[in-house]
Amino acid sequence: MRRVAIVGAGMVRFGKREGDSLMDMLTKASLSAMDDAGIGDGPVDALYVGNMAAGMLNHQTAIASALADTLNLLPAAADAIENGPASGGSALKNGVLAVASGYYDRVLVVGGEKMSSVIGPKATDMMATMAHPQAEYIYGATLPSLAGMFARLYMQKYGITPLQLAKVAIKNHNNATRNPYAHFRTAITLADILTGPQAPSNNPVVAEPLRRYDCCPVSDGAAAVVLCPAELAKSFGQPAVTVAGFGQATDTHTLQERDDPTELRAVRIASQKAFAMAQLAPSDVHVAELHDAFTILEIAESEQAGFFEMGEGAKALDEGVTEIGGRLPINPSGGLKARGHALGATGIAQVVELVWQLRGDAGERQVKGAEVGFSLNFGGMGNNVLAFVLRREA
Amino acid sequence: MRELVALKCKQCGRVAYPARARCLTCRGREFETIEAQGLAKLLTFTESANLPLGIDERRRTLGIVEFENGVRAMGVLKVAHPQLGMKLKPSWQRVRAIDGEPVFGLTLDAA
Repeated sequence: MRRVAIVGAGMVRFGKREGDSLMDMLTKASLSAMDDAGIGDGPVDALYVGNMAAGMLNHQTAIASALADTLNLLPAAADAIENGPASGGSALKNGVLAVASGYYDRVLVVGGEKMSSVIGPKATDMMATMAHPQAEYIYGATLPSLAGMFARLYMQKYGITPLQLAKVAIKNHNNATRNPYAHFRTAITLADILTGPQAPSNNPVVAEPLRRYDCCPVSDGAAAVVLCPAELAKSFGQPAVTVAGFGQATDTHTLQERDDPTELRAVRIASQKAFAMAQLAPSDVHVAELHDAFTILEIAESEQAGFFEMGEGAKALDEGVTEIGGRLPINPSGGLKARGHALGATGIAQVVELVWQLRGDAGERQVKGAEVGFSLNFGGMGNNVLAFVLRREA
Repeated sequence: MRELVALKCKQCGRVAYPARARCLTCRGREFETIEAQGLAKLLTFTESANLPLGIDERRRTLGIVEFENGVRAMGVLKVAHPQLGMKLKPSWQRVRAIDGEPVFGLTLDAA
C-alpha cells in the first residue's frame, strides 16, 4: 500500500446554521479544504461523502453525485457513505484506501449533516433508528438511554463519579472557547452544572445518570480533507500530515448481547489495528480527539484505546493530564460535547482538528510540539468504530 | 413467556436474542427456539427523559434483564425504585406506536 497524506483541511463552524442547506455546508467545507491544498482548478479523481440521514432529514439522497456536480469535480468518481455517527470516519477510511491502493491520486473526503431542520421527538426518533428495530427501538431506546445504561455499569465498576463526568464537560467547553469552529463557545463551571442552586434546572436528567451537560448537542456542520499519495504531498503547499495508521472494528448491535457490557471491544480492536499499522504506541500520541458523544465515553475510550489503564482514565482527568498543557490533551477542539456533533461530519472534523494541531495552526488551543495525533469515531453504542493515527512528516 | 422467543445454538448452547444468522460464540447456524422463562434479573437501567415520537410519556425507565434460562432482553420497567439485581415479573404489553400502529413488547413489574 502507498502511504497517504492529508494536504488540505477545512470545515464550517458547527452549530445551528440557519440559511445553510446540507449541500451549502458540504460545498463550503469542500472548497475550504481544496483551497487549503491549493488545488485550484486542478482535477480531483474521487469524492467520498459521509452522511447519515440526508434522506430522512433533508429529503435528499444521492448527495455525492449532487456534490460532484455542484463543485464541478466532473467526471470524478463519487460515493456517499452511510455508517451512522461513524459515517465521516468510514468515508475517510474509504478515501485513504483508494489512494493507498494506487487507483486514485487526488481524493476529496467530506462529511456533513443538517440536523436543525428537524427538532424534538422526530429528531430523537430518527437517531434512534440505529438501535435494533425489534429488541431496542420499539421500547423508545435512544442513544442517550443506551449510554445511560452503559454509564450506570461503567461508573459502578470503576468508581466514576458525577463530578468526574462534569469535569469532562467543563474541560471540553473551556477548550471550545478557543475554537472559532465550535458550536458552543461558552465556558461552564461546576456551580453551573453540578453544585450551584441553578444546576438542577441548567442540567436536567436526560437518561440518568447522564444529564444535559453529559450529552453532545445536535449540530449542523461539515468538514473536509484532501488526500494524495505521500510522495506527491510536497507538490501541495502545506506541511504534509500522513495517515500513519487506521483501524476499524464492529461489535454486537445490542448492548445486551455483550458478555461484558462495559467493554468497548470495537474501540479496543480498532485502536490496536491503527497503532499496529502506524508502528506506534498510545504513549507516542501527543493529542487525541475522542468521540465524547457522552462524557462517560471520553473516559471509557481513553482507557479502551490504550492511553490509560482500565479505571485510570478518570484519575488522569482529575490530574489535568487530558487538558491542553497536560501530557495527553484530549479533545482540544471541544470534542463532540462543545465543538459539536454533526453526525456524518464528526469523524472528519476530528481529523481536521488533528491536521491543524500537527501543522501548528490551532491558534489559542495549540498543543505545543504535537507531531502524532489520534482520533476515534464511534458509531451507535460502539458497534462500529474507526481509529486513525496521524503523523506530521519532517 | 411465549411472546419472547430466543434462539439457542445447537452446537454450543449459547442463547441469542434478538435472532441472528450465526452464533456469537461458535458461528453455528443451527438453532432451536426457546421462550424466555421465569423471573427476570435487572442487569442495568436508565430513566429516560428524551423519548422519541410515538411514546406519550414524559419519562420512561428502560432496563436490560436476564431471564432464568439465559435470555437477555430490553424492556420497559414499571417499578418506582429499580435496583440492580432485583427480580422482575415479565409481561407483554403495548410499548409504543409506530406510524400510528400499536406495538407490543416486554414490560417488567416488581416480582
